[in-house]
Amino acid sequence: MTAETLATGRVRAPGRLPFGPRHLIVPVAVGAVLLALYAWVGTLELDSIEQRSLNSTVILAKTVEHLQMTVAATALVVVIAIPLGVLASRSRNRFVAPVILTAGNLGQAVPCIGLLVLCTFLMGVGFQTALVGLVAYAVLPVLRNTMVGVQQVDPALIEAARGMGMTRGQVLRRVELKLAVPAILAGLRTALVLTVGVATLGAFVAAGGYGELIINGLKLNRMPVTIVGGVLTASIAFLIDWLGGLAEDLLKPRGI
Amino acid sequence: MFDRDTDGVRIELRALTKHYPGQPAPAVDNITMDIPAGELVVFVGPSGCGKTTTMKMINRLVEPTSGEIRIGGKDVLSLDPDELRRHIGYAIQQVGLFPHLTVAQNIGLVPKLLGWPQAKIDARVEELLALVSLEPSTFRGRYPRQLSGGQQQRVGVARALAADPPVMLMDEPFGATDPITREHLQNEFVRLQKQLRKTIIFVTHDFEEAIKLGDRIAVLREGSHIAQYDTPAAILSDPADDYVAGFIGQDATLKRLALVRVSDVPIADPLPDAALPQVTGDASLREALDVMLAHGSDRCGTPSGVLTYAALCAAVGSRPEKEVSEGVMSGGEVR
Repeated sequence: MTAETLATGRVRAPGRLPFGPRHLIVPVAVGAVLLALYAWVGTLELDSIEQRSLNSTVILAKTVEHLQMTVAATALVVVIAIPLGVLASRSRNRFVAPVILTAGNLGQAVPCIGLLVLCTFLMGVGFQTALVGLVAYAVLPVLRNTMVGVQQVDPALIEAARGMGMTRGQVLRRVELKLAVPAILAGLRTALVLTVGVATLGAFVAAGGYGELIINGLKLNRMPVTIVGGVLTASIAFLIDWLGGLAEDLLKPRGI
Repeated sequence: MFDRDTDGVRIELRALTKHYPGQPAPAVDNITMDIPAGELVVFVGPSGCGKTTTMKMINRLVEPTSGEIRIGGKDVLSLDPDELRRHIGYAIQQVGLFPHLTVAQNIGLVPKLLGWPQAKIDARVEELLALVSLEPSTFRGRYPRQLSGGQQQRVGVARALAADPPVMLMDEPFGATDPITREHLQNEFVRLQKQLRKTIIFVTHDFEEAIKLGDRIAVLREGSHIAQYDTPAAILSDPADDYVAGFIGQDATLKRLALVRVSDVPIADPLPDAALPQVTGDASLREALDVMLAHGSDRCGTPSGVLTYAALCAAVGSRPEKEVSEGVMSGGEVR
């Protein structure tokens, strides 16, 4: 074996998390911002209107509503966008793929607030209406990344898999989707962050969330309320992005 | 299936044709050939001649338009294609190791599809890694990107052998390696095949490789028409036409010398002569000629005696005294 020098690809050792100090930057920074916000609000003399919004009960309730919207919308996006992405990636569906992709593009291109208004006419206000808008908005990144992730799998691997006697379904599950995991997770992370931001619009259709703080603050001209809503939304977005990054490292198949 | 015993079985192709829709001519046009059990047959021909398509019809990665394929007497076209492929070893140039699976998982894939118990798979992986000269304890748990090109090709061959199939299809499996590694892999593969006696169809465009590995060579032309189907020695000494001769190149005689080992030639003087340049009994006549040329001698010593230039000429059926006439020379090259 003289002619074969040993290749030294870097592959993570089994069971070891690549968790280092750099992974602590985001949570520490977000924690510092939230502490500063708390301290700043503490120095203000709140009137009765502000007190009705800025107390732990209301903020906790809004946080729960906001996260519920985000998580529910993302779960729906996973269920809708991944199968559609796989469908669009199949070569025999090459006539359907543009239609699916256009629908995804449309969902993101149409202003979410406009879509919410239209949905209100059809379904009334509430949590479900907000979900429709959020899902339409967040489908595209997951759809596109699933499609690209599956399509970029080396054709030689698929030929080898078929040549070894894997069925089409086995090739999809054991090879194509496994190798598309990093791309799908990246799309999902983008979708989550988008959803956290857009979920503030849920307040317009009475679905609650941090949007309510922001809008109430603006309507009643109470700046601290608006600022708290805005900073909390941004903090959650950062934290979710951070969690997404960890999940990508953790769930990525070893060896790639 | 046809693999109750794991030794090679016979493959028969009958009037096999593949015509892709919308193309003027069939990619494979009515090929009929027999591949004897336990032999390694090389399909050699230029790119686009249909050799790979012909091979892929045998495991039905390409569905034939018409014709018949029998493996060990069984009609392949009546079997379930996925099940069929699990009983035919398959190795390709790009190797196609799955990057998210370890070496052991890659090799154990087909046995797993066939439902072998895990303990049997583990033992088989161990055995195969040793067979392709990779230390099992070192390589079992590695991922493909941690291997060199040559090591990946070895794992690819081991994976194709995993379920001990009687038939193997190999599409330039050593194509993507550097010349030194390739030669090394070819030598090991020859040794391996001596031991295993599988029926192997081996596709390449490298005629040297075909001579080195093949029990028989099928030289194919456009549309997978067989230009000549014979043993390497017969093709070299008697090419069927100019097309085959062109494929062999200008040094057919040297290539024939390379097929014969020193120990297979009758020795002129049975007494070893230590004063002469020496070659081993395992060396080819081509290497012996090289030694003679290098020392300006018309003979060299072998373990059992003395090998002369005349003996080399006799081995390829010519006589050294004979002058090559002008007519034959120009006649041979003009055409």
